[in-house]
Formats: sequence, C-alpha cells, structure tokens
Amino acid sequence: MNLLEIKDLSRSFVTGKNKLLVLQRMNMSVKKGELLSVLGPSGCGKSTLLRLIAGFLKPDSGSISLKGKPLSGPDADRIMVFQDFNQLFPWKTVLQNVVFPLKLKKVGSSRKEREEIARRYLARVQLDEFLHFYPHQLSGGMKQRAALARALATSPEIMLMDEPFASLDGQTRSTLQEMLLKIWQESESTIIFVTHDIREALLLSDRIVVMGSSPGRVKKVMENKLTRPRDQLSRDFTEMYKEIYGLL
Amino acid sequence: MLKMKNNYFQRLFWILVIAGIWKAISLSGLFSPLIFPSPETVLKSFYLSLLNGELIRQTIISLSLILRGLIISLIIALILSLLAISSKTFAGMVETLLAIAHPLPGIALMPLVLIWFGAGTKAIIFIIVHSVLWPLVLNLLTGFRAIPEIYRLVGENYGLNSLKIMWYIMTPASLPYFLAGIKIGWARAWRALISAEMLFGAAGGIGGLGWYIFKKRVFFDIPGVFAGLIVIVIIGVLVEDLLFNKVEDITVKRWGMQI
Repeated sequence: MNLLEIKDLSRSFVTGKNKLLVLQRMNMSVKKGELLSVLGPSGCGKSTLLRLIAGFLKPDSGSISLKGKPLSGPDADRIMVFQDFNQLFPWKTVLQNVVFPLKLKKVGSSRKEREEIARRYLARVQLDEFLHFYPHQLSGGMKQRAALARALATSPEIMLMDEPFASLDGQTRSTLQEMLLKIWQESESTIIFVTHDIREALLLSDRIVVMGSSPGRVKKVMENKLTRPRDQLSRDFTEMYKEIYGLL
Repeated sequence: MLKMKNNYFQRLFWILVIAGIWKAISLSGLFSPLIFPSPETVLKSFYLSLLNGELIRQTIISLSLILRGLIISLIIALILSLLAISSKTFAGMVETLLAIAHPLPGIALMPLVLIWFGAGTKAIIFIIVHSVLWPLVLNLLTGFRAIPEIYRLVGENYGLNSLKIMWYIMTPASLPYFLAGIKIGWARAWRALISAEMLFGAAGGIGGLGWYIFKKRVFFDIPGVFAGLIVIVIIGVLVEDLLFNKVEDITVKRWGMQI
C-alpha cells in the first residue's frame, strides 16, 4: 500500500472576480521510504500541492489519504520545511527550536531527555557547536539545517520540503543536498521534495513527478534509476536532464 | 561593558556641565534668585523634602496611580487587540474607537471627567488609561499583524490550536511592538498624571507629584518646584535605563527582533 495517495485533487483560488484553477485533477502516490521530487516551473501549483498535503489548505475536490485514512487538517505526521529562512522562531535558540515540537508532541519524558534527542538531530546536520545561538546569528544555510533537524526530530511520516535550498548559494546548496541524502538514507524517512531545479530533482530523488502549469497537473512521473552517488557529468544524467527539459 | 560605563560617564559629564551653566547664570545676577535659584538651593530643598518624607509620600502616590492606570490599560488593550485580530467585525469597532479616541488629548477630557467622576482617584486613573490605552492598542495591533505568516504555519504544522498559537507564537512574536507600546504608554501616562494631579490634586485631596509642584509654585518655593521636577526626571531615567533597556537587552535585542 502507498503511504500517501492523492486522487483527482483540484484546487482553485479566487482573486476578486476571477477564479484561478491552480491544480486540476492531480493523481499521484508516495511510497514509504522514497524520496520523491515534484518538479515544475514556478506558478505550476507545486507549492499549493504541498500546502494541501500539509493540511494548510483544503482541496476543492478530490482526496488525499495517508496510510489509507483521509487527511483532516495539519498535523505533526507531515512536517513542512519551508524555503523561508524565517521558519525558525527568533526568540528561541537553535536547541530550543528543536526541543519545542518535541515538547508539544510529548516526545521524551523530561526536558533533559528532549534536549538529548534535539542534540542528536542537530549533530546530524552539523550544528552541534551552535546549539545556543539565536537564529539571527546564523547563516541562511545553517538556518535551513536547523529547520531540517527540527523536522526530523519528531520523526514525521512524511517530510514536505518546499524548495528548502532555493535561496542558498550554489556551494551551500550542494552541501545541503548531500547532507539531506545522507540523512534520508540513514533514517529511511519519506520525503516529498518540491523544486524547480531539474538537476536537484535528478540528484536527490527516486521518482520525479513532472508538473505542467496553468492549470497545474501531472505531466509525467519518471523513475530515476541513476546509480547513487549520482554524477552530474555522466551521460545518463545528461540524457535524463534533456528529457525532462523537453517536457518542461 | 566598557561602552555602558562610558555611557554613564558621558551622562554624568553632561549633567555636571549643565549644572555648571546653571550655576553661572544664577551667579551672573541676571535673574532674581527667587525665580532662578542656584543649583545648591535646589539640591538642599530636594534633600529636605526627602528627609521630611513629603516628596517620597507624593512620589508613592503618583507611582501607585500610574501603575494602576497602566495595568488597567494593559488588560483592556490586550482584550481589544485580541478581539480585533480574531474577528473582522471587532476589528472595525476597535479601529473606529481608535480613530475617535487616539487623537483626543487627555487634558481635553478633563472638564468632562471632572463632572462624571468628580476630582478623585477615579478621574486621574481615567485620564491615565485614556492616554495609555490607545497607543498601546495601536502598537499591539500592528505587532500582531506584522507577525510573519510562517510562524503561524509552523505552529499549525505541529498541531497547535488557536489558543496555543496565541500563547506560544503570537505573544513572543509581537513582543517588540508590545514593548514599544508600553514605552510610549509610560511616557504618556506620566504626562497625563502630572497634569491631572495639578488640576485636581487639591480638590480630591489626593496629592501626588503634580500637586506637589503646583503647591510649591503657589507658595513661590521655586527650589521646591525644581525638587519635584528632579524626581520626575530621575524616575523617568531609571525606568527607561534600568527597566525598559534591561528588558529589551534580554529579549528583543538578544533575539535580533528590534523594530
């Protein structure tokens, strides 16, 4: 059984007198443990799709079900990592930011235990030396790493990543992509990764949902069988790149 | 640390310079010592008033009035601004109230207040609340509305309900605006308080610093007038430097959230 099942999902937005259809009868599924990319040009509704899965938005029609059960509103079983560097709470230190959801979800029996868990996840994103820093003292890449640790710490069923590395410089982005891959392989988490960057989708994911725009819809779902670690300069990589480029 | 000491040193230096100029003017004999007393007569009057307890008693009266006014304003401001952000209807109401009341100086209401409440504690507190409430509501509303949507989304993502989002997220996120509002409120409350005490400190038998200054003027005790002013300045500086700045240092400044 698929972990997440999306059936005939449609969603539109009303602006003034106009009704804009953003997603039209989308169908897709996510398997447990896979890293799935949703790839499409900006404005194709991929962020809307993620917000629907997160439960921030309600669909007009169609359904999203997690482990066979239809979704009802946002919950910690689907955690979003945003592109926005402001997703950490500025009044909490890095450590407190990660402890906060653990406390809410009553993970761990004491503060000490929760801090221990948070430290472990922060070590995995190599922020062990910045535990007591406030977000405004961190670089963009460090903020995104902290957000990743916060998302991982509560062990959600699915991590929803909305172009989390898109605002970073190229070098930092590559480092974080590698870090994400390593964490994903170790933790066997399920990730839906939204991006407009073909290379990023090819580097990271097992499958790629290529979306078309106005209205947003699934154009093609591609298996990405390139062997890991993936080489951007290899012929296969370039071939696939060209194929997707042609689709978009 | 060094910089802070430096600041205090600067303060002290300039206060001494001002006192020096003051002394020079009083020595020059340009003005009668009756209306322009020398700094040492002022200090002496200040010291004697402290000693006989009068100044301290009046200060305590004023501070207790201002504190009561601030607390009442704070509670009403929180209720109004929370109502305004949770419903469009209430937002309309609060904004209309703001538009009517905010530009209205407290002093302008005094004749009316005098008739409604008489010249007593109630009247003074009413004037203080009026002076503090509206800027505070305005700041709180701005603060709540300036909270980035993403904080709320993250809160929702972890399954927080509206009440918990208010407590865990909106409260700390709006703190910079809240502090700014309290600072404006405090300054306004002082002004309102002193004027109100001058107008009906005697009639209501309440007293207070405003009344103290007014009484000193009636008896042409100008050093006494200055003594009252000095207390107002000292309290202002203490509250600003020790209270507000310290609170900002350990919160919004540390968090990089100053506005």
